[in-house]
Amino acid sequence: MKIATPVITLIVGLALAASLLVSSMSAVSGEKAALARASAAANATAAASAAATASPAQPTSAGVSATAAASAASPSPSSSQGFVIPPHANYVGEVQGNLGSVALVVHDTFAIAYFCNGKTQEAWLRGTPQNGKLSMTGKNHASLTANYALGHARGTVIVDGISHIFSIIAVHKPSGLYQSIETVRGATVKAGWIVLANGTQVGSLEPDSTSATPSARTAPKLDISTLTAQDGDTTLTATPIDGETGSGF
Amino acid sequence: MAAQWEPPAPTRLDPVQPGTSARLLVVPALVGCLVALTLGIYGRLHSPTGVAVDVIGFSNGATVKSVLASGAIGFAIIQVGSSLVMYGKVRWFGAPSWIGGLHRWSGRITFILTVPVVVHCLYALGFQTFSARVFAHSIAGCLFFGVFTVKMLALTRRGMPGWVLPVLGGLAFALLVLLWFTSAFWFFTTFGWSR
Repeated sequence: MKIATPVITLIVGLALAASLLVSSMSAVSGEKAALARASAAANATAAASAAATASPAQPTSAGVSATAAASAASPSPSSSQGFVIPPHANYVGEVQGNLGSVALVVHDTFAIAYFCNGKTQEAWLRGTPQNGKLSMTGKNHASLTANYALGHARGTVIVDGISHIFSIIAVHKPSGLYQSIETVRGATVKAGWIVLANGTQVGSLEPDSTSATPSARTAPKLDISTLTAQDGDTTLTATPIDGETGSGF
Repeated sequence: MAAQWEPPAPTRLDPVQPGTSARLLVVPALVGCLVALTLGIYGRLHSPTGVAVDVIGFSNGATVKSVLASGAIGFAIIQVGSSLVMYGKVRWFGAPSWIGGLHRWSGRITFILTVPVVVHCLYALGFQTFSARVFAHSIAGCLFFGVFTVKMLALTRRGMPGWVLPVLGGLAFALLVLLWFTSAFWFFTTFGWSR
């Protein structure tokens, strides 16, 4: 039987699409497996440090939640499905492909994330942590999904229709996320800076952040020692958004 | 005595038109609608993963897609040019014997280049409506593959009206250009070139 060549074209395209779809599915499940491995490693580290400091948290290898945290005065890491979930943490890092950086800050029952490329692409996101999983949203339909555990966080952030994959590490001050909100001539100017573990910073500024679809430009450099930045004749004063101290929440 | 036999009144048989019938387009058009709807519904229902298979040599999926889409636009321009020659619209340039082959192969390459892009779009990002650019892109993406399917199936049928192929081809090209402007052009002007 002779098949018309245009139909062959369609069939070849369909076959290519199907094979790409299958390899995408396996790539995604591979990603999940890598996440599980990384979490297991973090779990082992956490178990070791917990033993060394006689912390009340004793994650069980079976993935059953350790309930010893009840006696602790300060919030303690919880364990869920073998993941050790810190209640307070800051994560920063570049997204895959160097198209921007992301900061993820968790403080008890609340999480703030910021993505920016130091230019026009940026988004503030909010969400509620649930057992080490985050599903966050922001203006302009920005979204972020992540898994975090002691020492690292991995996930995907979608800003302006572009998805960025990230695998980022936990950091402490002065690395982390900084925010400044000032009213300048009636407009709310909101700036954000991400200071990476190596000290480099990237920041964007929304000249009118109360808009439903705020635009952004490069933020002036933030002086980490004084927490100020000079934007023309306006001095911006920044606040650290720090999961460990709860500042900015 | 039997009634006088009368010949049956002649039913009017329209002469069979060997020429053209737009009705031949019905089945290809329905299949095309089905393709466009399938892509749109899948893109809406499947929850986007943000990730798909990577292409070696590039650091991120968006750049790969933009490069592939730009390549597709290049071959699509060859498509339009070669069809103009085939239809005798280029007066100082008679249709050479290889023009049909050029048109077919540039079309096949265009289509094959778009396939990885649409798979990534649908699997990793989905059908989105959150901005005019993204909405236009999602709609045009579904329509493009619908129109392309109609055109491929229309090619297999003899006796289509003469306007069918130019209209379908022109529509596919216009949609592809719209897709490119709302994605690759936007991407390169927003992020610039990075590997």
